[in-house]
Amino acid sequence: MEETVMRLMKRGAITCGGEASVREVAQIMVMNRIRYCVVVNEKHEVLGIISARSILKAFGRDLGSTKAKDILLPYTITITPSSPLSAAIDLMAKRRIEHLIVVPDRPDSRVVYGLLHGEDLIRAMAKEKEAKP
Amino acid sequence: MTRVCDLMHRGVLYCFPDDSAKTVAEMMATNQIRSVAVVDETGEVWGSVSMLDLLRLYGKDLENTQAQQIMRPYKIEVDPQWPVEKAIELMKKRKIEHLLIIDPHAGPKRPVGILTDFDIVRYMSDVELGVYEQMLKMLPE
Repeated sequence: MEETVMRLMKRGAITCGGEASVREVAQIMVMNRIRYCVVVNEKHEVLGIISARSILKAFGRDLGSTKAKDILLPYTITITPSSPLSAAIDLMAKRRIEHLIVVPDRPDSRVVYGLLHGEDLIRAMAKEKEAKP
Repeated sequence: MTRVCDLMHRGVLYCFPDDSAKTVAEMMATNQIRSVAVVDETGEVWGSVSMLDLLRLYGKDLENTQAQQIMRPYKIEVDPQWPVEKAIELMKKRKIEHLLIIDPHAGPKRPVGILTDFDIVRYMSDVELGVYEQMLKMLPE
């Protein structure tokens, strides 16, 4: 049976509001040692994701007045927990991203369920072959 | 003026060109890094393997793939004395997240450090290096 995203994903995500300034988002990232921050609205519905690269792109702009919602990558590239891992890897390779937002299977829901990190996949790759000699 | 050498990580993890992709994956997993330099026996840098290059091999034969087959050749030369703005422009333009910094004074291209997008985020956030560790110390046991 093909492995699904469910097995390797991390539940939950660190979020920030859409009105947060870019400097705040950068601080959230540095303090939590993460590279990605999910942007949500008041109802905790996903608006998009901010990566270290998006912050990099904002270099030179006023960090205090630029809002998170101005620089986020819109909520488009997502995956569900039941999709196969190969689909997730294809998506990552094609879009050159390292993290995917995992959303529930229900089509109407926009709540963030977790994140699938490239690091988790690498860890699985490193372990995999040891298990079966 | 902030220079590249003020922000970069000193020290580079490297593998040899004929190391298997499995070895590279283990290095990334145990050291929690996202790119490994590929260096030959004389210490000259050939290129680097990033996490995205390695992810493409998921489910394939890792043992029989060599690092030199999946690496990206080293082309973008960055001097540690450059101002940070110049390096950031380069990263923005080329859409890359790692810059390998080489020692300009050594004969062979010897890597001395790595500048990642996370270092830039830290620079932009104004959080001092080590604040996180200090916060951990202040927490009650």
